[in-house]
Amino acid sequence: MNRRVAIPAGLCLILWLGLTTNFPRGARLISYDAFPSENGASDDGEACERPAPPSGLSLLASELPLRNILLQARLAAQTQDASQRKPERMIRDPYAAYSAVAVDPAHDEVVLTDENLFNIWVYDRGVKTSPGKSSEAKRIIGGLNTKIEFQCGLYIDPGNGDIYAVNNDTIDTLVVFSRKAVGDVAPDRELHTPHGTFGIAVDEEKQELFLTVQHDNAIVVYNKSAKGTEAPLRVVQGDDTGLADPHGMALDTTRNLLYVTNHGSSHQVRAKESAGGRRRGGSPSFPLDRDDAVPGSGKIGPPSITVYAKDARGNARPLRTIQGPKTQMNWPTGITLDEDHNQIYVANDGGNSVLVFDASAQGDVEPIRIVKGPASLISNPTGIFLDKKNNELWVTNFGNHTSAVYSPEANGDVAPLRVVRSAPPNQPVPGLGNPHPLAYDSRREQVLVPN
Amino acid sequence: MAHPQIAVFARLAKNGAKPVRKVEGQGSLLGRTMHGIAYDPIHDEFTVPQQFGQAILTYRGGADGEEPPIRVLQGPHSQLDAPEHLDVDPVHNEIFVPTRDGAVLVFPRDGRGDVAPIRVLRGPATMLGGDAPIAVDPVNNLLLVGGTAGRGETRLLIFDRTDSGNAKPKAVIGGPQSRLYAFGGPFAVYPAKGEILVSVRGPGPYAELSSDEAYVGVWSIHDNGDVPPKWTIGGPHGILRMPRGIALDVKNKNMLVSDKRLNAVLTFHFPEIF
Repeated sequence: MNRRVAIPAGLCLILWLGLTTNFPRGARLISYDAFPSENGASDDGEACERPAPPSGLSLLASELPLRNILLQARLAAQTQDASQRKPERMIRDPYAAYSAVAVDPAHDEVVLTDENLFNIWVYDRGVKTSPGKSSEAKRIIGGLNTKIEFQCGLYIDPGNGDIYAVNNDTIDTLVVFSRKAVGDVAPDRELHTPHGTFGIAVDEEKQELFLTVQHDNAIVVYNKSAKGTEAPLRVVQGDDTGLADPHGMALDTTRNLLYVTNHGSSHQVRAKESAGGRRRGGSPSFPLDRDDAVPGSGKIGPPSITVYAKDARGNARPLRTIQGPKTQMNWPTGITLDEDHNQIYVANDGGNSVLVFDASAQGDVEPIRIVKGPASLISNPTGIFLDKKNNELWVTNFGNHTSAVYSPEANGDVAPLRVVRSAPPNQPVPGLGNPHPLAYDSRREQVLVPN
Repeated sequence: MAHPQIAVFARLAKNGAKPVRKVEGQGSLLGRTMHGIAYDPIHDEFTVPQQFGQAILTYRGGADGEEPPIRVLQGPHSQLDAPEHLDVDPVHNEIFVPTRDGAVLVFPRDGRGDVAPIRVLRGPATMLGGDAPIAVDPVNNLLLVGGTAGRGETRLLIFDRTDSGNAKPKAVIGGPQSRLYAFGGPFAVYPAKGEILVSVRGPGPYAELSSDEAYVGVWSIHDNGDVPPKWTIGGPHGILRMPRGIALDVKNKNMLVSDKRLNAVLTFHFPEIF
């Protein structure tokens, strides 16, 4: 005889059968979560095609002796087809979620990457956005041929306007488009990169291209014109580097310095034969990767800005580190530099702020300016770009469908000078970015979705 | 992706819904590459991997904002190398974590700090390839792990839950008839009916990005060999493009699927499997 018992913790129910081993009184567990509603009805919306349940396939654990018979029956049966069934509902943001920004001052355009609809959006730099509406783009690059998905880093070639867009996930390819590219076009150039590249910086004088690699706590430096499987010129990686989930990068070509923002998590790597001969990157010139991780060496530390010599290589120590509670850093992501004033600007994702530091700072220092607050519109900022020609600071807000423009001297809760928006104001933002696993909280009837 | 977070939505959320809460920020200790998440309805907590910091983080069920985990499992004794998948057995109080080099580490659910695994499944007989989705069925006492022998050789390995050492799987699902091309993400298990729900990526010229052949397939815990799915839903040639994780809302007989290319979470009513 079956009976249901509510466990003290709450909603979870356990059904005991008068059988077998692991539980008291010879009972047996067949579920630890809520049971289906008794009437089988759904209040979830429009009905869809619902074929009759397959008969004889509902096995309780107590029916295991039947398994061989039923398995034979299953093998003889056709797969039941619900391939065309429509979902009852879908959580999906219909608007672009801007992540990185760069300005092409030569052509008076601003370029934005979008990690929701997987496009690169090009706008007039001075685009006027009507109240209550979204901004009108000049060009959009997007589609499967473009290989654009989670582009976190962006660089515009000051000479020809080429767009370099760094893929942070899903496809290990840096894509380069001419400035006239539009629609679902193949990149003009592709470069196979380590997995998890994020930030990009270019030394135009030396024609070198720098990328951060999150997963490997590394920086890879390529010829700027590298393509295909061309190897990096050099790699910065090692225990002494202080690289810890590196994100954005800024180059000071006057002082020959490289600035890197770090979220703080790291582990050691040591060269070893990878399991089964696998190497994720597939290139011996790549940084050591996750297959070379030293088990149990991981740390989750505070965020930082690490500063290196521009030509650093190997296990190079940072020349300086900005780190500590006074900095107010909280997932510092994008970074841009004003060489003339020797200041660095940080998109402080977790702090919903822009932090400005003296670029010569070291240790636990306070920002010299902070832009933050409801009037500023800053919400989960991930990208930042200083347009020196027009003396404007651009910030992308992953949290509210906007990229906003400020005076570089802005301080406090300052309203932006103007805004590029992908959606009408105040549209809700799911904030999804490569949702992978899901969990269902049966107590609260909620869905947990990690990015 | 630019912004790590765990967004929590109401069950009936749709379109561009705002999360009811989000766990995010430095204090949360979260990182990226969370390819597994387990909600434990008995103890009301959820657990995720932190790959770069080689840690397992457990939060209270209602965690919100920049809230720290209630437990952190991390350290040299843990043997964690690059955890990205996991599952939690709330009945027997264990956490299962695959490693990059083809092992499954089993920890006490309430372990904190530098805790050694209480069991390790590892060895050539296991057929484990590492870096694989994993699910535990505490009712039927099974452990399901993805085999990663390469595209086209994908296998679903079924072990006894308490297997350790160089144990051979008790069943292996895979082969050309199985239509298991490549795993898209974590499995879901419905123990009461012995069903395994698997997101399957499809082939094609843009296979790394999107495929019209992608689908969610349903197999049985009693399957073994080159067995086709009992059910396919959302594809092939359906709405799914790159299905990832699967979760079950048992009470309402719904299956939830995330899709990377759609950058979305879809809810299918799927009463046939419940």
